[in-house]
Amino acid sequence: MRLWIELVVSGLITGGIYALVAMGLNLQYGLMRILNVSHGEFLMLGAYLTYWAYLVMHLSPFVFLPPLLVGLFVVGLVVHRLCFRRLAETTPEVEAFEARSLLVGFGLMFVVQNVALLVWGADLRGYQYLAGTVSIAGVGFTANRLVAFAAALVLGLGLIAVLRATLLGRAVRAMMQSPTGALLVGIDVRRLHPAVFGVGLALAGAAGALLSMVFEISPSMGEPYTVTALIVIALGGFGSVTGSLLGGLLLGVVEAIGMHLTSPSLKMVLSYGVFMLVLITRPNGLFVR
Amino acid sequence: MARRGLAAVAGGAAVAAALPWLLDDFLVSLALSCLMYVALATSWAMFSGATRYVSLGTSAFFGLGAYVSAWTVAAAPWPVVIAGGALIAAAFAGLAGLAILHLRGTYFAVLTFGMSELTRHAVTYGEKQYAGTVGRVLTVAPSSRTVYLTVLAIAVAAVGVAVVVRGSRFGLALIGIGADEQRAQTLGVPTRRVKVAGFALSAAFAGAAGAAMAVRWTYIDPTAVFNPFIGLQTVLIAIVGGPLSLTGPLLAALVFSLLAEFLRLQFPYAYLIALGILLIVAVLYLPQGLAGLWQTRARAERPTAAR
Repeated sequence: MRLWIELVVSGLITGGIYALVAMGLNLQYGLMRILNVSHGEFLMLGAYLTYWAYLVMHLSPFVFLPPLLVGLFVVGLVVHRLCFRRLAETTPEVEAFEARSLLVGFGLMFVVQNVALLVWGADLRGYQYLAGTVSIAGVGFTANRLVAFAAALVLGLGLIAVLRATLLGRAVRAMMQSPTGALLVGIDVRRLHPAVFGVGLALAGAAGALLSMVFEISPSMGEPYTVTALIVIALGGFGSVTGSLLGGLLLGVVEAIGMHLTSPSLKMVLSYGVFMLVLITRPNGLFVR
Repeated sequence: MARRGLAAVAGGAAVAAALPWLLDDFLVSLALSCLMYVALATSWAMFSGATRYVSLGTSAFFGLGAYVSAWTVAAAPWPVVIAGGALIAAAFAGLAGLAILHLRGTYFAVLTFGMSELTRHAVTYGEKQYAGTVGRVLTVAPSSRTVYLTVLAIAVAAVGVAVVVRGSRFGLALIGIGADEQRAQTLGVPTRRVKVAGFALSAAFAGAAGAAMAVRWTYIDPTAVFNPFIGLQTVLIAIVGGPLSLTGPLLAALVFSLLAEFLRLQFPYAYLIALGILLIVAVLYLPQGLAGLWQTRARAERPTAAR
């Protein structure tokens, strides 16, 4: 019994981060049809900036989180302006736009990852933050994992609350449902698209900041998270932010239990298997009826 | 048009075939990697350029071909090894195509990417489980001239088949699917069969190229031969060259292998940054690829012929 509690809780903790990564990506995809495969690279950027702030300026990751969010938001605005605005204007057809923006994403992935490699080198780095142990129901967890999980959950739920309750959130959801309809009722696409893209990157950066407290970081850390985010999105449904939250938590638990039952070396086979199975059989996600 | 194209291909092939006797080893290996990307990009464009189903699965076919080669090269004659790589890759693509070709756009691209990663992990796991090793050392290998001529033959075959396919009913059906799949279906194109056949055909060349290139490396492991980078660079070359043209990818393959050879060793990061920027610029500003540059000019000069 204790083993199962440990598996589920540690699965949920990992899943919380997965959810946060996936929500940002899914928000971008749901609204703009940009499947940004460089998402994980911005997560890596967030992790490195947090690490740097901790080491150089002795800032706690949580103090540094707000400026980090703003910073990556601005990066998002710039990236959108440079890459995706023109693409959206020249490629009105959705399918062609999706394929091309995917390729732009791969280009960004090369650029960001290798700039990071140039600047920071390929070594693993890490720092100690809240490394003490806390026990829950007789099972010990390091404090930083719990704090990271809580922060991920707060950010994720906060995003859902903003989407549900505020006028801005309603505008975003309206655009997801019907871009033309949203235009007709006077929603400003040219301002909202870059903003949402920025929010997506900010969430990726936040996930990176949380991860840097728990794990060692490296310039190639982003890619696996992009893949995981894709799996989560497939589970929760393309375009559904709440689905991503649930899907992320679910994938975390499934992974933890699956790895316990089989072997850790099968982890990627398992996740890719789940991913392809879901996409082939239920392309709209598990939670869609 | 097709006849002139084939004649040009034959001329180019004759020149390329003489290279191992004329140039030193370094330049021949450069030509070899160029030919490999010609084969990969041309065969990719044959299916993905025409139908606009962007496949990121080339590395899966390439890697499968490479492993078929690693498993059989000591036991089977060389042409059988290459044919085996092509057949296994084509069969795999056919099966995968049946499962995933009903999904378009991003779904298809992401699925093919997932497919190649899944294949990589599955092969890694299988090799660990049954062979007790992850990598394989190829002790028996044909001479490097044989390998060069084989890759040349594959590249020529890819370009030749692409030329023939373009003029055929099958090629028109592929382009019809790319333009408007539902309309093509309404007009009587068996879209599903055409798509699966096209996907398998394009995979066969990637498999053959993988089988031929595997022996060049003497040591192969899944990380190297299923490297998603192979698939991405293929897509990059085809897109930068022009997914709908034949000459564009040829030119782009040449440019990229030169870039790779001269930049990658000294400035690996700068090389990849340059690749990324090139990809973005090509997608944003050259939707028809490099080929778009001379195609628009030709059209401007002969406004009536374009219609």
